Amino acid sequence: MESEAPVDTKTASAAAAQPAAKENTAGQNNQPVKQMHLPGQLPGQKPTPEQQNRKPILEIKHVTKQFETFTAVNDVDLTLYQGEIFALLGSSGCGKSTLLRMLAGFETPTSGSILLDGRELIGVPPYKRPVNMMFQSYALFPYMTVKQNIAFGLKQSKLPKAQIEERVDKMLRLVHMEEYVDRKPFQLSGGQRQRVALARSLAKEPRVLLLDEPMGALDKKLREQMRLELVDIINSVGVTCLMVTHDQEEAMTMADRIAIMDKGEFLQIGGPREIYENPNCRFCAEFIGSVNIFDCHLITSNATQSLIACSDFKNPIELTHDIDLADGMPLTIALRPEKIYISHLPPQEQTNWCEGVVENIAYLGDISIYYVRLTDGRIVSATLPNVDRFKEGLPTWDDHVYLSWDPESCIALTF
Amino acid sequence: MSTGFSANMTFIRRAFQQRRKAPLLTRHNNTWRDYALIFVPYVWMLLFFLLPFLIIFKISLSVTEIAIPPYSPLVTFEEGAMQIILHLENYTSIFTDPDGTYIRSYLKSLQVAAFSTLFCLIIGYPLAWALASSRPAVRNVLFMLVIMPSWTSFVVRIYAWMTIMKRDGMINDVLMALGIIDSPIQMLQTDFAVYVGIVYCYLPYMVLPLFSALMKVDYSLIEAAYDLGCRPVKTFFSTLVPQTKSGIIAGSMLVFIPALGEYVIPELLGGKDSILIGRILWQEFFNNRDWPLASAVAITMLLILVIPIMLFYKIERREQEKLNAGK
Repeated sequence: MESEAPVDTKTASAAAAQPAAKENTAGQNNQPVKQMHLPGQLPGQKPTPEQQNRKPILEIKHVTKQFETFTAVNDVDLTLYQGEIFALLGSSGCGKSTLLRMLAGFETPTSGSILLDGRELIGVPPYKRPVNMMFQSYALFPYMTVKQNIAFGLKQSKLPKAQIEERVDKMLRLVHMEEYVDRKPFQLSGGQRQRVALARSLAKEPRVLLLDEPMGALDKKLREQMRLELVDIINSVGVTCLMVTHDQEEAMTMADRIAIMDKGEFLQIGGPREIYENPNCRFCAEFIGSVNIFDCHLITSNATQSLIACSDFKNPIELTHDIDLADGMPLTIALRPEKIYISHLPPQEQTNWCEGVVENIAYLGDISIYYVRLTDGRIVSATLPNVDRFKEGLPTWDDHVYLSWDPESCIALTF
Repeated sequence: MSTGFSANMTFIRRAFQQRRKAPLLTRHNNTWRDYALIFVPYVWMLLFFLLPFLIIFKISLSVTEIAIPPYSPLVTFEEGAMQIILHLENYTSIFTDPDGTYIRSYLKSLQVAAFSTLFCLIIGYPLAWALASSRPAVRNVLFMLVIMPSWTSFVVRIYAWMTIMKRDGMINDVLMALGIIDSPIQMLQTDFAVYVGIVYCYLPYMVLPLFSALMKVDYSLIEAAYDLGCRPVKTFFSTLVPQTKSGIIAGSMLVFIPALGEYVIPELLGGKDSILIGRILWQEFFNNRDWPLASAVAITMLLILVIPIMLFYKIERREQEKLNAGK
């Protein structure tokens, strides 16, 4: 697998914040597969595992988990490929943790099968699975030192003492915790605990590493810092990794592929860019990032152009592709705030713009979010990056502004 | 402009507003009320523990006399001279008794208490686990089942065991009817009956501390141990036992200490040959009317208990300090 990949797919801000990490990752690149631009691929998007001819390692087939009356996971299919980092993303109660726990062996699926390297995992107790988990709370043994914690799993497999010693040292170097061998977990900071937990779960060289909300116990600043570091460590080991998170930024920064889960089902599986730029349903569009959703209906559609009427403003929306829907049928248009231009002058075109009054401005430092009230009362958000420190002529409160966008920016959602 | 501006101001104000932190614990100056509150239990302990203890200790340093009370006074005035006579022969005779009666009964008592504690632990741990891991509604029922027997008089329950275990009691009847045994087994007047009685009576004192320790257990550690390849039995010893150490110790003490001086249970269920220290105390006090020797036996028993407990606490505290120093 290519190790620049996690950086390539990052959002611009995350990559900019971590230039050192980027170089570091590139330096550690010892994997043979280079990123190649295959036909039909968005620029900057990684090739899919199938395109790289990677070997499937974990296959989840028609897995369902029912708790009495509640279906936590509903007929889910998923294939994990060798060396990838895969994120299950969803809000709490969507079934992502249940799925992870079924892989670890703490829950038994009601039906379906889980194959690891082609062998059935269901019925194998957790202590016999070649799979290790990093727990959300880390679950470090409080009465053991860092060294004993990391050695715990190795001792269970009855390795010779010298080999355990060697492996523990290697793990300590990997997570840069050599100085803390004899500390107990309560003597460590949150970030250090996480490193120890990671080292412990990697010590047995699992076939698949499971991460349960890996950043859940860290504060925000540390979280951002640890994301790429964790990816670095995982990539340098080359382990296949399945993580569970509710934090979309975390999933997009760390994962090669993401599955959006809701009510026990996968709604969309794809790379971070694909999921952000090309959501396949309204839930996915709203779940990742912020988005303006417009209820519309189709006026007309042909191979190169579709015209859509929106009830919130008078100008039609124009798309440069066809929509497989009968004329007059309702559909939803999703538009990301950063893809909207704000100006004081009316655009020349007949399509793809609307007008309103600036209701509020949220200045976040790097960007400002403009909340523009359209003539019919609907509020649309649009973001402007604050490129200049003191720029004149920016729209301000109560200004009458025009919002416009490129035809390619709109996402037409039919469900 | 105005509405927009004020809205923005609110935004800014909210962003910069400091969260007011109410001090959780204000500095507290002790008043006479606080002292009065502590005073009550201290007076109670003073009157009903320390004072009787000192009286017993005083008696243990005298010799028997045919008098009321039946022991020599510690302090005497004769011809204007105050004499304080401390007799230590009671203590020496405990250890130099030619038959070794006292030493033997101490050892026997220690053995019975230790094994009873172990049995309580073995039976109590799964019980406490069942309590801790059950749903709240079920838990209340189980809780009642553990506690309810102690609402009945202790002696009544021991008598109930006597009728259950006697030669023509329930156990023998059932076993004979099933054809497992041909003639009744002698259960009463054996050590077995003593263990049954003690374990039965003291089980709740083991279960409750274990239960409260198990409620605080971090269950993710069990999963972590499983995940790292630890088999169930080993997982129990490597995750649950260290985490419930305090409960195990508290429960064991609550069982061991009263079991050591137990009198009623061995007296009613035990045999003539198993003479425990409780029986010795009774005999010395009431049959031989040798109050000083009986007091010496009692004080020695207290020392046997107190010295290991104090040592244990000292080690525990040192370990705790070591942990705290690291913080």
